[in-house]
Amino acid sequence: MDLIVTDKLTKIYNKHIVAVDHIDLGIKEGEIFGLLGPNGAGKTTTIRMLSTLTRPTSGTAKVAGHDILKDSRKVRQIIGYSAQAAGLMENATGRENLDLFGRYHHMEGSTLKQRTDELLELVNLTEDANRLVKTYSGGMRKRLEIATALVHQPRLLFLDEPTLGLDIQIRVNIWDYVRRLSEAGITILLTTHYLEEADRLSHRVAIIDKGKIMATGAPDELKSAIEGDAVSLRMPSASAEEQRATFAKTEKVLSGQPFVKKIMATHDGVNVYVDRADEAMPKILRLLEKEGVETASTTVSRPSLDDVFIRYTGRTIAEEAAGNNAGKGGK
Amino acid sequence: MDFASDVWFTFARRFRIGLREPVWIFFSLAQPLIWLLLFTQLFKNLALMPGFPTSEYLLFFAPGLIVMMAVFSSAYTGFDMLQDIQFGVVDKMLITPANRYAMIIGNILNALASLTIQILIIFVMVYLMGVSVATGAGGIVLTLVIVWLIGLAFCSLSYALIIATRSQTALVVIANLLSLPLMFLSSAMMPAELVPDWVQTAMMFNPVNYSVEAVRPLFVSGYDWSSYGMGLLVLGIFAAVGVVTAVLAFRNFGK
Repeated sequence: MDLIVTDKLTKIYNKHIVAVDHIDLGIKEGEIFGLLGPNGAGKTTTIRMLSTLTRPTSGTAKVAGHDILKDSRKVRQIIGYSAQAAGLMENATGRENLDLFGRYHHMEGSTLKQRTDELLELVNLTEDANRLVKTYSGGMRKRLEIATALVHQPRLLFLDEPTLGLDIQIRVNIWDYVRRLSEAGITILLTTHYLEEADRLSHRVAIIDKGKIMATGAPDELKSAIEGDAVSLRMPSASAEEQRATFAKTEKVLSGQPFVKKIMATHDGVNVYVDRADEAMPKILRLLEKEGVETASTTVSRPSLDDVFIRYTGRTIAEEAAGNNAGKGGK
Repeated sequence: MDFASDVWFTFARRFRIGLREPVWIFFSLAQPLIWLLLFTQLFKNLALMPGFPTSEYLLFFAPGLIVMMAVFSSAYTGFDMLQDIQFGVVDKMLITPANRYAMIIGNILNALASLTIQILIIFVMVYLMGVSVATGAGGIVLTLVIVWLIGLAFCSLSYALIIATRSQTALVVIANLLSLPLMFLSSAMMPAELVPDWVQTAMMFNPVNYSVEAVRPLFVSGYDWSSYGMGLLVLGIFAAVGVVTAVLAFRNFGK
């Protein structure tokens, strides 16, 4: 069953800035669903609408069968929201932060105490529970922040850029927590502009760009739907002219072959896209050798989500992130 | 029931956090002390002028100082919420089932509680400096009622401003730009009889002046129900406007 269903969900700011443009999504109960796109693509706005924080301009959505506009109160009881910003009270302790959100969910003192202890244990903060958050490290903050979204045992958790600006070790650590939550049965909708995060964490991904969903599917499905495997051939060449000549020759040799889907020049050779690199590789090498084209080395790469992103938007997400937000973005 | 508990927990956490802010102690101790020790010395001889209502400037100024501190500290209350807004805490609170109005009311109540403590500290200070309130304990309570109304008005408007602008600079500039003229255009520092006509006219439109006028007789002479009643009326309206503005601003938060 779909836990979230959106129907032409749209948000327009100041009458002309279209942040989210007629989005139709279905998110299944129990899955980790990644909304992947560059900064400004409309990810956060989508999450804000689904979590009843921002009203859609048009269209609507249902969360567990409750309309986000008409039944916002019921929606709020079953969702947890982890903000992109710190989302914590700096001058309060970890425990106090958890306690307040529990109180706002109208939990009773003893149940809340027990739940708070459980969560602190889950995110490894039991020992630091009574320290002020302003003394916490980035990773500790994020763990606590996610915990505050879980106090009331939501069925659905929104994670807005859960590892933005965190070091790689801490990111891997946060991913573990997210997987653990998923295994506990919580449905998770996360936004990210990190390809690796979307790829490694999500069961399904939607690629969003300029407010529109460009593609939806499991990361592997999306990847295999594009060119297939890439066989990269490095070919030594003395000059640009020579390189062009080599490429022309390679193209002539390979373009007629039924197993070759696409051939592209790279800075030091040629990429040949095929369905199955393991089968294609010997054939390619044999054909090239017969025609006298020399190959220095070969590598095989599976397509990445970046390739998927390029395919649907014409840009790489890393370029996009670097351009918008120097220093923060990238792979 | 939920509403009351939402108000209570908002209030309680804010109050506890407030106690951890050293700036707060500066506001409640150092600032009034500077005014009491320096300003009253500067103006000491004013009380010798013919037509001045008291023989001691300190006695005249104490009620003015109390109103002034109420205005100043309330006007900056919005800072409380700014960090929560910027850090996304308010967003997270708003999507809990807790009542939105309870949240803003809990915050306002906390501002009033801190204000009460500050004002009581000033009462102790002026008492130690030899001022005795003519109407005693009753006068102190009546003074607090006026202080609560001013506080309600200014801290609500301060919250509304911070919600609307999300800018520390805007709050500092506007709070500064408004609070000083409001003090100068009142009888906080100077009796109304001794100021130019146009200032007297301006005083009639200044709610701060009505607070000073309501409180001063309690210190200086005795109960004066007509000026107190007038103060209650003007400040009651002002406070109501403030609270409604803050609630409306908060209702539209994030939309």
